[in-house]
Amino acid sequence: QLVSALHNLTRHVVYHGLTRAEDILSLFPEDFHQNLKNLLTKIILENISAWRNEAQASQISLPRLVDMDWRVDIKTSSDSISRMAVPTCLLQLKIQEDVALCGNSPVVSAVTVELSKETLDTMLEGLGRIRDQLSAVANK
Amino acid sequence: QQFSALTEVLFRFLTEPKEVERFLTQLSDFATMNKISLGPLKNIVKSILLVPNGALKRNLSSEQVRADFIALGLSEEKASYFAEQWKVNSPTLTRLAVGQTLMINQLIDMEWKFGVTAGSSELEKVGSIFLQLKLVIKKGSQMENVYIELTLPQFYSFLHEMERVKTSLESFS
Repeated sequence: QLVSALHNLTRHVVYHGLTRAEDILSLFPEDFHQNLKNLLTKIILENISAWRNEAQASQISLPRLVDMDWRVDIKTSSDSISRMAVPTCLLQLKIQEDVALCGNSPVVSAVTVELSKETLDTMLEGLGRIRDQLSAVANK
Repeated sequence: QQFSALTEVLFRFLTEPKEVERFLTQLSDFATMNKISLGPLKNIVKSILLVPNGALKRNLSSEQVRADFIALGLSEEKASYFAEQWKVNSPTLTRLAVGQTLMINQLIDMEWKFGVTAGSSELEKVGSIFLQLKLVIKKGSQMENVYIELTLPQFYSFLHEMERVKTSLESFS
């Protein structure tokens, strides 16, 4: 019962984003032991940002990017042409499925994609547009 | 004249290999115009087409194509004409052949949206920015959609890496 009560208290504090000692102190009932109240408040305040960050990290979301690697190859021949020198890019994205679904054993899958120079240029154009839109939003 | 018309038809087909219908129609027009029957014409055309395809595979120059045709018994004038046409068309043909080269999991399309997380069941007020990407990938003959979410710092390092790839690709072409 004690653990459950503590859990509810901390969840309430994190949910509402209470950061001031007075707000937390006001949650306790009138006749609560003074020193215990102060001690609990102090501990909660110390941990609150860590708890907030963890809650945000384990939010539901689409699969998240965890890592990416790339390599550039040069294609020198194929069945339709015996000699050429065409550069191409291989991109590997490591994606982690929704954290809430995986629990303690995250499922990470890798997607490998091949990009020609034209595709890469188009992609960079798109990414540049995202960056411009982001800075427009940030400056507002 | 006949030969040049035929060569023109052939090269138009080679540069647009998808236009099979049109090629066949032009062939039968040619046959009726010159009073040749279509069957033998098709056979001749098939053997003629072998030469440019082989030449493309082995990156032959127009000189070599001309020599090949002469060795096969074609008159020198016709062989030179064909070789000329070959020189004119070979960049297009080469580009087509390169375009046909095997690509694994080719990226076809990319869509994105970004927004702000307003709240969640854990936190009443959040206000963090997320970016969602949808990549359309061709796996064999099917399309696969891959959805990814990135945080802002991840997006910026992704952009940085992609710019490095571009520099690398450019230095090799």
